[in-house]
Amino acid sequence: MPFLTRNRAVLLAYLGMIVLLLLTSFFSPGFLAGAHLRTLSVLAAFIGIVALGQTFVIIGGGIDLSVPWVLNCAAILMTLFAKGADAPLIYAIPLVLAAGAMIGAVNGAGIALFGVPPIIMTLAVNVILQGCILVYTGGSPQATAPSIIQFLAVGRLGSVPVVAILWAILALGASFLLSKTVFGRQLYAVGTSATVAEFSGIPIVRTTVLAYTLSGFTAALAGMLLTGYTAQAYLGMGDPYLFTSIAAVAIGGASILGGSGHYIGTIAGAFVLTILTGLLPALNLSNGALLIVYGAVILITVSLASESFSDLAATIRGTWRPDPADKELVKDQTR
Amino acid sequence: MVVDVRSDEVSAASTGRIGRGGEWRSRMIDRAPFLVACGMLVVLVAIYGSIREGVFTLDELNLDTAAAMTLLLAATGQTIVLLRGGIDLSIGGMISFGTVIAATQFGDSWLTASGWTVAILLIGAGVGAINGLLISTLRLQPFLVTLATWSILSGAALLVLPTDGGALPGPWMWFGNTSFVGLSTSVWLLILLFVFWLWFKDTRLGLTIRATGSNEKSAYLSGVSLTFINVATYGLSGLFAALASLYLTTQTGAGSPTIGKDYILPSVAAAVIGGISLFGGRGGLSGTIIGAFILTIIGNLVFVLSVSSYWQPIVSGVILLVAVLASSLAERSARRSLT
Repeated sequence: MPFLTRNRAVLLAYLGMIVLLLLTSFFSPGFLAGAHLRTLSVLAAFIGIVALGQTFVIIGGGIDLSVPWVLNCAAILMTLFAKGADAPLIYAIPLVLAAGAMIGAVNGAGIALFGVPPIIMTLAVNVILQGCILVYTGGSPQATAPSIIQFLAVGRLGSVPVVAILWAILALGASFLLSKTVFGRQLYAVGTSATVAEFSGIPIVRTTVLAYTLSGFTAALAGMLLTGYTAQAYLGMGDPYLFTSIAAVAIGGASILGGSGHYIGTIAGAFVLTILTGLLPALNLSNGALLIVYGAVILITVSLASESFSDLAATIRGTWRPDPADKELVKDQTR
Repeated sequence: MVVDVRSDEVSAASTGRIGRGGEWRSRMIDRAPFLVACGMLVVLVAIYGSIREGVFTLDELNLDTAAAMTLLLAATGQTIVLLRGGIDLSIGGMISFGTVIAATQFGDSWLTASGWTVAILLIGAGVGAINGLLISTLRLQPFLVTLATWSILSGAALLVLPTDGGALPGPWMWFGNTSFVGLSTSVWLLILLFVFWLWFKDTRLGLTIRATGSNEKSAYLSGVSLTFINVATYGLSGLFAALASLYLTTQTGAGSPTIGKDYILPSVAAAVIGGISLFGGRGGLSGTIIGAFILTIIGNLVFVLSVSSYWQPIVSGVILLVAVLASSLAERSARRSLT
């Protein structure tokens, strides 16, 4: 069945999500009740929105470590512009989203035009943003989220949280971009092999810059929504999202080498991480145990999705397999 | 993304094709990132020395080396991994885990303290070796494997000691902060580290690590066991992370389950500022030492200028970008001299 083999990693992510849901409802009855599922989808939405841009960047063969402080800057700038009132949001929201997108574009330009490794470029941008916002706010931002933002983050339409609806729309858009547009196909091509893509006439610079721009945009969007959830912006609010956005993409079955994966998998990844956060208090486990389980889940899902898992036996018998660190080598082997 | 020029192709420029003048030029290009880093350090020290009295004294050297040593030890492990073409994020977890074990288990007897010191070093090397094994046998990405083990080690550290605390024996603290012939323990460690590197880089293992990082395919075809190289590389990185955690406890006098994350990205930054290529095979520990001191002096400068300490990340970030642009431009001009 080609569908099953082609989408093995994504299916595994959903399987894991369902198993975890059942497990959680077994340990804490009432977990599957409407109210809990609502909270779950709200928390997963924040991870999912940040991980949207991260998915595009990783499919394109890069990584975005600037997510935490783009998110944090967006949250703080939005609350500073709005000062708790709704009216200034008319210009504050577009301005902040544009700023996020621009930072992403700077990342993409540094990587695509100047050949700076993605890890270093986005890391440097992250610390520079961190310093800038700290200097700007003097270390203690004091502003609350306007009521419209609070409605977007915690409000409901009928019984469905607004942020979940927003996330669903974004997910549809992302899936369309990845599967049905020229940009999507070009992104997979660039992620698979930048060299081949370049020789095939694919606009590498444009594709890469667009992917990072999208990542900056979604991080900024998530930052603004998150202020609505926590009622105010605070320093360090973006820090957890570096780990969770990458983990959601990895659990969702995308290869960190680029060229594979889909946002549909990332959605399951975001849910898996959120369910785990809910499961462990139910089992009376501490924050330390949560981190251990996070790590184990990443290792297990990534191993199961790895193509070499099925012929691990061959490796143990001493048959050599190439190391994944060398991109071209692995690509040669798998082709 | 631009097409990578691997360092083996670049060094081909220094051996064939071009004449003697070209050889000198390409060697300069190859060393350019390191020279830029040296230049930046000289400028920073000059600025620092011009605004503060007594910078060019032995005391200042002792202090700065002590401030840089934890980062430097962590960055030494990172350098070895980067030279092989990988990356190790788990050192953050290992540093946290090492400090909490030391702070809770050392006790007052020197016997338990030395026993646990050996145990921490073994745990570091062991976790690193597991990283290497997972990367090789399951063909997983170093970034993801070490991200996962970072999380696991941080979690373990939190289970051992939920908040900062614990205590270390007095003699242990004394050993970390004493001085011998006018030089502090940290300076002696620096000398030791440098001697280690001079020896290590030309050993069979050191050469193989760099060769594998430079071109994995050729290394494998020349009979290198990639599994062994990965286990050795990440094992060494874990060992140095454990050393860093032990040194850190002599400075802080306590254990912290969250302190390690402050060293992950700076360790990469120190190496990259010093001219180590993220694509593997290029650079050396002398660059990393320069890089670690640059990051430390920036901290001092921000303190002396009595501007907000929030300027430190901005300056570090800009220096990191300048350094990496220098090495990227050097690589380009190396490519140009090939054609």
